Amino acid sequence: MSAIIEVRGVTKDYPLGQLTVRALHGVELCVDRGEFTTIAGPSGSGKTTLLNLIGCVDVPTGGSVVFDGAVTSSLSDRELTRLRLEKLGFIFQSFNLVQVLSVFQNVELPLLLQGGIDVAERKRRVESILDRVGLSRFLRHRPNELSGGQRQRVAIARALVTKPRLVLADEPTANLDSVTGNSILELMKELNQQDGTTFIFSTHDHRVMELASRIVRVQDGRVVEDGRGDKSPVAAAAAAY
Amino acid sequence: MVTLQIALNNLLASRRRTLFLGAALFGVTLLFVLLLALTAGVTDNLIRGATNISSGHVNIGGYYKSTPSDSQTVVLNASQLKAEAKEALPDALRIIDRLRGWGKVISDKGTVQSGLNGIDLADESALLELLALAPAKDYIDNPANAEEVKGSLDALQKPGTIMLFASQAKRLKVDVGDQVTLRTETLKGQSNTAEAVVGAVVRDLGLLSSFASFVPKQTIIELYQFKPDVSGAVQIYLKDIDRSEAAMNELRAHLEKKGYAQLEHDGQPFFIKLLQTVPNEEWTGAKLDVTTWEDESSFLVQIIIGLRAISVFLVMLLAIVIVIGISNTMTIAVRERTREIGTLRAIGMNRGGILALFLLEALLLGLLASGAGGITGGVVAALLDAGGLKVDVDAIRVVLLSNTLHLVPRVFDIVLAVAALTFVSMIAAFFPALRAARITPVTAMQAAE
Repeated sequence: MSAIIEVRGVTKDYPLGQLTVRALHGVELCVDRGEFTTIAGPSGSGKTTLLNLIGCVDVPTGGSVVFDGAVTSSLSDRELTRLRLEKLGFIFQSFNLVQVLSVFQNVELPLLLQGGIDVAERKRRVESILDRVGLSRFLRHRPNELSGGQRQRVAIARALVTKPRLVLADEPTANLDSVTGNSILELMKELNQQDGTTFIFSTHDHRVMELASRIVRVQDGRVVEDGRGDKSPVAAAAAAY
Repeated sequence: MVTLQIALNNLLASRRRTLFLGAALFGVTLLFVLLLALTAGVTDNLIRGATNISSGHVNIGGYYKSTPSDSQTVVLNASQLKAEAKEALPDALRIIDRLRGWGKVISDKGTVQSGLNGIDLADESALLELLALAPAKDYIDNPANAEEVKGSLDALQKPGTIMLFASQAKRLKVDVGDQVTLRTETLKGQSNTAEAVVGAVVRDLGLLSSFASFVPKQTIIELYQFKPDVSGAVQIYLKDIDRSEAAMNELRAHLEKKGYAQLEHDGQPFFIKLLQTVPNEEWTGAKLDVTTWEDESSFLVQIIIGLRAISVFLVMLLAIVIVIGISNTMTIAVRERTREIGTLRAIGMNRGGILALFLLEALLLGLLASGAGGITGGVVAALLDAGGLKVDVDAIRVVLLSNTLHLVPRVFDIVLAVAALTFVSMIAAFFPALRAARITPVTAMQAAE
């Protein structure tokens, strides 16, 4: 299986007043297509920073991130935007839906930004993905008329409607109760298995990790453990907390 | 399309903010349209007054100087000049001539200075259409019958008559049928007088009404002892008033070709040249002076320029307030919507899209609010004009060049006001929008958390 993401000796510094804080220290990571990977670690460990770099919303201070063969730090803002639009899907902890748009419009948004897709095709794809996430009855609803779980399902539909190569989810269940959170992860796992879409999601909840096929544990800006191939990566990660 | 949808929905979502800014834009646009309509109304008054009372669209005036320092405003061969004008300007609707004089009109109870226009009623159908006999209440204090109109517009067919505007009749305290004395100075400095009976008192036509009266041509000829075919000016009326300047140039070229001596073009009214410019020139004899109605009323154009300046100043002042208001509101909106910006950037909207999103909001707000303000302003202006409100304050009458409030709402002015205020709202939103577009996705997403 070929790698979709290669993180090579990545460092990331943030200025903090007169100081510079290093959030990542020479991180190495390779994710293959079709994987269902979690990046685990406590708050402040560097999970979100790593996800931001993989998701091309930020560029590393040192080292390189290669996404689908392209070195992200060599791309312009316009090229990075295009790459995110065409090859990436994002699921946020706080859902981050556009409040003034309906469920249908939120999911349709990436297709409109891509352009060149006719109305009928957009409608078919939006309705199809909303049907898969169980929201076909809520097309005209606004986000504030939905429950947290339903909103996250909309976010998943929005992330998947463009058929991206990689979906990144930053603590997707953090704002949900455990039952809803599990159902969301079950849904992500199902979509991963059915479509072969690569998922990388961050979490610090060890119950969530049980569903991951691979756990990358991050601590103090370093990958301290990579559970690929372990028989029980979840148990190892859970033991660390 | 989606940007438009988000922009429109965001405006609807922030109802209070949208209403507040929209109301400000609405009010300023309405005011702007009213001021433009007022300026257009004053311009209309000016054109109407100037081109009927004191000038044609194009004029052939002239000066005669027996000595370098002595001058009189006359053309010596009016019928020949009318023929030249007809040849040079085939599109002329009417070509007439009027005699010009300046003197005192004296009654038992008052005196006014007035320009005396010597006219031939047979040539003045357009003037007669414009004039209307004034009711007694316009010039008599406590008349027995306020609405009574006396005399006739045809009165000037009789020799020894005068037609006064109501404001003059009021100052002279005369009624139709009363006798007045006209006193003028001749070319050689002699005072001449003539008696005249008030044949008609007509409604005022703005500021110019205060300085003009009409008498038969023969009265001026006798007062100034002019020879036959001497006149004050040949007045040419065109089908299209906007062609006045071009027509003036054509007529100048034609007269030059025919060998007439002419003054260099000077965009001032004849009486200023008569008093200031011509007496200081060394030549003697006769020279023609071809002018447009704008030249002859240039002293009034200052009022329009002043009104325009006040309008622009007022609107600019209010526009600055609007710019500050919209700019601050947009800055707050950008701060409040940082998460939305981050999300849009993360899922693939480029910087241009974010910039367009905020500018589109300002465009929609500006267009809808100022559009409503512009249309309302147009309707209010039309209603005020139809109401024909009387203006009783002399100072305001001078500025308005009329005794009634006259507003002319023009579609072009409404479109101009709406476009200007929409542009202003977009300018106000530009820097906050640019700031929003420059936020990196990661910054926006961090801010959201």
